[in-house]
Amino acid sequence: MLPITTGVFPFGLVMGTVYIHAQIPNYEALAMNVLVFGGSSQLAVIDLMLQKSSILIVIATGLIINLRFMLYSAAFSDYVQNSNVWIKLFCTYGLTDQTYAVLKAYEHKLSSQQEVVSFYMGSALCMLLAWHGSVLVGFIFGNFLPISISLDYAIPLSFVALVLPTLKNKTYFYVALMAALTAIVLKPLPYNLGLLVSALIALGFAAFLTRNSNRDQKPKSLKTEAELEFKLNVDLESHKPEGL
Amino acid sequence: MIESTYFWTTTVFLGIGTFLIRGLFIFLSSKIKISERTKEILSFIPASILPAMVSPMVFYHQGEVGLLCHKERLVILILAVVFCYFVRNMLLTLGFGLGLLFLLTQI
Repeated sequence: MLPITTGVFPFGLVMGTVYIHAQIPNYEALAMNVLVFGGSSQLAVIDLMLQKSSILIVIATGLIINLRFMLYSAAFSDYVQNSNVWIKLFCTYGLTDQTYAVLKAYEHKLSSQQEVVSFYMGSALCMLLAWHGSVLVGFIFGNFLPISISLDYAIPLSFVALVLPTLKNKTYFYVALMAALTAIVLKPLPYNLGLLVSALIALGFAAFLTRNSNRDQKPKSLKTEAELEFKLNVDLESHKPEGL
Repeated sequence: MIESTYFWTTTVFLGIGTFLIRGLFIFLSSKIKISERTKEILSFIPASILPAMVSPMVFYHQGEVGLLCHKERLVILILAVVFCYFVRNMLLTLGFGLGLLFLLTQI
């Protein structure tokens, strides 16, 4: 389980120091960490709140970032169909990039639905401890670091390290580039709408680039439905984000 | 300083919204199915949002190093992307970027 938490520790440290820099009281920081439990969305909304953006835009931006969990939820849903509501609730809460990635990596070794659920719950618990622990460490030691180390610069750096492993082919790279450039151009938009609009443009661009991926391929190469299904599953499995 | 009501409203709505997103298919999987096409588009979310957050943050930042037209953060970020591409490690990337920025601004 240790390997999945190593990516979380530095991110949690950054999160903890950001709470300090934004002068967020400890009970508020704790509440956000527990209620949201999604690091990149937390960093994004804190940044937007510091710029006093409209609350609707802050919430919408945070939710868009977390929309990727829908993908994991869909992939995981088959395993918990027969579990009771408490297990489902815990699995829902513990769904993160890391728990999803580690489940994908090990699911072929697990023989029953029960085993998959137990494995998943173990990794979710591990992630919970690692996340809150590292945020706490960042929160405590953020105060002691010298001001000459520009800690706010850790945010863009950690996002670079989060997004790079998800760019599994050229299409993802082009989408990322599109997002970066549009956001620079759209920065002057009122109410900090720039981020939201550029993300949606980039997502639309992604849909455009992949428009032929599973509809037109079939008549061209006369692939069977099963083959296509298999290809897509392989593609999805190779997608292992490391961020939270 | 973030105003308290503003913070709590955001946190509560973001928390509930995120929980609903996470739980949607876990609780309703028997009633709704997500298409492969939707899954494919959802997999692009990190690539469409994270770069959009990072780029204005460093592009519009006015730094201190005249030699780099006060854009040392932008220059270091581009180097950090290349560095991270090879090492694939967040801690090392953070050390590389923060260290380089420290060297450039303090010396």
